[in-house]
Amino acid sequence: MLDRKQKYLQIAFNRTLEEIVAMINSLPLSGRIIIEAGYPLIKTYGTRAISTIKTLWEQRVLGYSLGTVEAAEMKPFQLYKAGYGSPLLDLLLKSIEKRKIEKPKRKFSEPIKKEIAFTPYIVADLKCMDRAFTEVEAAASAGASAATCLGLAPVETIDAFIKRCEEIGIDSILDMMNIEYPFEVLSKLIKPPTIIMLHRGVDEGEENKEKEVPYQEIERIKNVYDDVLIAVAGGETIREVITGAFNDADILVVWRLFNENPEKITALSNEFLKEVK
Amino acid sequence: MILKINQRYLQIALNSTLDEAREIIAQLPISERILIEAGTPLIKIYGKRAISEIKSATPAGTYIVADTKCADLALREVKMVAETGAQALTCLGVAPVETIDRFIGECQKNGMDSMVDMMNVEDPVEVLGKLKKPPGIVVLHRGVDETEFSKEKQIPFYQINQIKDNFDTFVSVAGGDTIEEVQRAIFNGADIVVVWKAFYQSTAETAKLAAEFLKEIR
Repeated sequence: MLDRKQKYLQIAFNRTLEEIVAMINSLPLSGRIIIEAGYPLIKTYGTRAISTIKTLWEQRVLGYSLGTVEAAEMKPFQLYKAGYGSPLLDLLLKSIEKRKIEKPKRKFSEPIKKEIAFTPYIVADLKCMDRAFTEVEAAASAGASAATCLGLAPVETIDAFIKRCEEIGIDSILDMMNIEYPFEVLSKLIKPPTIIMLHRGVDEGEENKEKEVPYQEIERIKNVYDDVLIAVAGGETIREVITGAFNDADILVVWRLFNENPEKITALSNEFLKEVK
Repeated sequence: MILKINQRYLQIALNSTLDEAREIIAQLPISERILIEAGTPLIKIYGKRAISEIKSATPAGTYIVADTKCADLALREVKMVAETGAQALTCLGVAPVETIDRFIGECQKNGMDSMVDMMNVEDPVEVLGKLKKPPGIVVLHRGVDETEFSKEKQIPFYQINQIKDNFDTFVSVAGGDTIEEVQRAIFNGADIVVVWKAFYQSTAETAKLAAEFLKEIR
């Protein structure tokens, strides 16, 4: 479903569903954007989070906006723990703030006429740990294009997850959070997943600032598993995203900056898309 | 710790639909030794509504476990579950140690019991040794997929006493669903036995089954 020659920006949404309506309304229309129904969002709203996000993005791609609020009208919001920012991030946010972009006013009911040539791609961040069949089926019926399974799950679960995803026609993503040697996990599987995600968790990143996203694993994995795509999650700054892209990651996953600054989501997405090439 | 020391508990995990869950709850005998679990699939399908609806379908004072299987963002997850009125929730033993520590600390702050699920953890004592403090409850767990695809995999009953000898914590056993497995867990010193298969759908036997399991758990 994804183009192997393309690099993607995956935005994980974790605010309330009402707020996400406004955020998706303000995203630039790009086939290189992947929308993720975040793990906390699914636990809060269930599979409804996946289907709502899917409908929203689909409508947007087709030229219709839902809801009555745009993200530019939203207030910035500090999620969880403060003090995660960096001087570079502050600089980026300030520069975006200075650029007042004049937008033509339009009514929400009016469709935007654009030539769109991409299929919306929605990831359900299930972090499956057991009962793979049930979870894959639930995500697929809600409209997900891909779903995640933990690399830390029993090998029986991972194998069942990859198999069911293939049967049902969605992409399987294996999340390597807290795994020191991804190869050890991959070598035990009947077949590799569609996408391998190298991931530094939020709690890990906040408590242990020295913990790095293991960019060095990207090439090593690609040398052995030439069919898989690599996603990188846990790096949030422009610099980290550039590093991920430079190290040949196919998908760069971001969430914090976008969820904490919903009013700047259009500009942020454009800035990041520019770097993810 | 909300649960009583020297008491043994039966935890019934509800994993089908919310309608089934309500029907099963209506048939269960009223006992303070029964804990009701909102299972992971139910939470992923219905969201936190699954926990609050199960809570409101049970008699007042029922102990509710939310099987969220937290793997990251512990503070947000504990806060979310606390709002539903549940008494306990679960975190994965394979999660980063930073997540488990935050999870246990946040549960304590919110007056909830923390459960660490040791599914796919070879040596639970090693994981517990890395934590700032042990959780309220350690869950020894053979997963559903493991059970189905690797029938030779056993629940490590010998670990119950290994854990209790080294840490001040309750031990729960999940993954066995027959009366024999429940007896073995209790014989080996488990404080809580989790069952789900017998209670996946409501049948005419539901009440009788619950009473039989309760009889074995003393």
